[in-house]
Amino acid sequence: MVSPYGVGLSALEDGMMAGRCCLTPAADLYPGFRGTVAQAAALQPLAAGPHYSRTDRLAMLAARDAVGDLAGSSLLRKSGIVMASTVAGLSEIDPEIAKGPAEWYRHGGLARAASYSVSRVAASVAEHLEIQGPACAVSVACASGAMAIALAANMLLDDAAPMMLAGGSDALCPFTLSGFNSLQALDAEPCRPFDQNRKGLNIGEGAAALLLETLDHAMRRGAPILAVLRGWAMSNDASHPTAPHKDGAGLAACIGSALRMAACSVDEVGYVNAHGTGTPLNDIAETHAYENAFAQRQRPIPVSSTKSYFGHCLGAAGALEAAITILALRNGALFPTLRLSDPIASERVDWLHGELRREPLPVVMSVSAGFGGSNAALVFAEMRP
Amino acid sequence: MKTLVLTGIGSVTPFGPLAGLIAAEYPQPSAITAWATPGLRRAFQVPQFRPADVVPGVKTRRLDRLSAWALVAASLALRDAGIDIGQIDRSRVAVLFATGFGCVELTEAFFQSAANNGWAGTDPITFPETLGNAPAAHVALFHQLRGPNLTIASKSFAAESALLQAASLLRHGQADMAIVLAGDTLTQAVYEWYETAHLLAPACFSPDPIASTDGFVPSEGVVAMVLENSGREPSRPYAALGAGRWASGGDVQAGVNELLGGCPPDFTFCSGNGAPCAYNSVTCSARAVVGKGAAIVPAQPVATGVGEAGALLHLLLALSKRPGPGQALMLGTSAHGGYAALRLEIF
Repeated sequence: MVSPYGVGLSALEDGMMAGRCCLTPAADLYPGFRGTVAQAAALQPLAAGPHYSRTDRLAMLAARDAVGDLAGSSLLRKSGIVMASTVAGLSEIDPEIAKGPAEWYRHGGLARAASYSVSRVAASVAEHLEIQGPACAVSVACASGAMAIALAANMLLDDAAPMMLAGGSDALCPFTLSGFNSLQALDAEPCRPFDQNRKGLNIGEGAAALLLETLDHAMRRGAPILAVLRGWAMSNDASHPTAPHKDGAGLAACIGSALRMAACSVDEVGYVNAHGTGTPLNDIAETHAYENAFAQRQRPIPVSSTKSYFGHCLGAAGALEAAITILALRNGALFPTLRLSDPIASERVDWLHGELRREPLPVVMSVSAGFGGSNAALVFAEMRP
Repeated sequence: MKTLVLTGIGSVTPFGPLAGLIAAEYPQPSAITAWATPGLRRAFQVPQFRPADVVPGVKTRRLDRLSAWALVAASLALRDAGIDIGQIDRSRVAVLFATGFGCVELTEAFFQSAANNGWAGTDPITFPETLGNAPAAHVALFHQLRGPNLTIASKSFAAESALLQAASLLRHGQADMAIVLAGDTLTQAVYEWYETAHLLAPACFSPDPIASTDGFVPSEGVVAMVLENSGREPSRPYAALGAGRWASGGDVQAGVNELLGGCPPDFTFCSGNGAPCAYNSVTCSARAVVGKGAAIVPAQPVATGVGEAGALLHLLLALSKRPGPGQALMLGTSAHGGYAALRLEIF
């Protein structure tokens, strides 16, 4: 795990449990940019070798952290990788390329541009950890990280590899900051997901990698089991190129599919880690999705957006938030949305805000969505003896 | 294991926009005119056409060419499969798109707007269309397909990976049908990267025929295939998709032999997309796996030039020129030691 809190799951856990916000003015990093961002820890320089993008390096660091003592083992070598990214090597390319690509390549751009393809993120992790199983990358905008986990789970069911490393990585870069700024989707101040006065999102960066294996396999090798992935689903709104379906219909259907796979009732879910970007359109559509998907629940569904802690990490968001959802499960911690003072009115949603709430959580859910109408939902449950 | 069949094909390639198999002779590289070049530069290029002339009602004016081609190819594949889109459960149709570079044309345009106007003056209409998943999203939007929608990249084996992931979704009941697409576009920045890296064949710089050993000729296009559970009536499947595997390293021969399980294929076709100069190395790998006397169809330059997303064009060409029905192996190898292998029953 690499987050603005540092490297490792425990750094993420400590930061989240303390409710620490990592958002800082964008101009500190990128002079001239308005807005608020969160940067991951400074990365150590690499020894000479192939050029790795910042996204690659975040991914390699997160993957190394996830595999721990398995690094170098024959079991890991046979394993597979699904990594998500949207930025990939865009962070290494500057606008000078547009004036004359050949000239830019001749002046040092050739190796930098070689890191452009999203596939490089998975390939870099494979090279770094000497993994020889199937390796691919997923780029489905902001739902990418969750979808990487879903695809990796499918691959385990297919017996494509004994273990799958799944996650996402994205670095901060001017291209994406500028893009979201051009769409007027950024909040200049720290974001306020699900608040009536929300104004947009903040961009963050980071990487998360989760090691997945079948329960039998994990138990046979005596692995520590952090959580059980009981259900997953993916869907598309097919409604608009960038905006979500206004009623959240696609997302609600996705949540329903994931719960059916998990064989969970709506009442069993104790917490939903929402996509919750803080943009006006996303958050209201998402609210409708929860109202519809959990309509049969006896109590309002507890929901929060942890993007209020360190922003929207784009292709890494779904994987980082899956990890946060697992931390919620393990700690019985219902993380509040920071700065949520005037929530969207809803009788069916229990907006978590203010103090951290603690209660046993047998089943939790992480939800992601993205440009292009894509949705993903992951259901995690505690490991029962 | 469920039987999965390929029932429809659509393509936008240097052969032009087509539904079904390709009957035409293989094209020759043509001179690049889309940007100023320092002398003759050649590539396999998609001929210009109006998407709305091929798919009535499709609007592509603000889209990256990759998105436009994906829309056309997917529509042609559905038409070829004889699918009445209004008669199927569109929440059960997945879209999987494999690409090496994604929407690089509009990404370059976005960089151009940043170069001209600074990062504060970039174009809001362009930005969402630069995202890698834009082509798959437009296919879903145009046809109202609400199943899983994925864009996949894999060093050397993006198309094979998408095909296997689509099969996985169908086998696990997460969709009933999938449109699998693979492709890339050729732009100035892509072409000049290859040239600066000294990866291009001499045939890129002269009207000479392509020699198979030195460099490659870049190509472009998108191929779409409809993959579904067998049994829909009426359908006219081209092939059934069997087991497959891909790996980023390890022993190619051992891995493929394990996949074949002692049943050698009637013919093997090489997808050869692993490395631009790999026409021969993949053929050598195929020969090592299936034996010297076996029927091996070498990788075709027009498909190899598409790079990581070229395997669907290789498959389309193999289906189009197949020696006859039988068991087939599609094999790709990478210069970095990986491989992808899929078993197919060709009808």
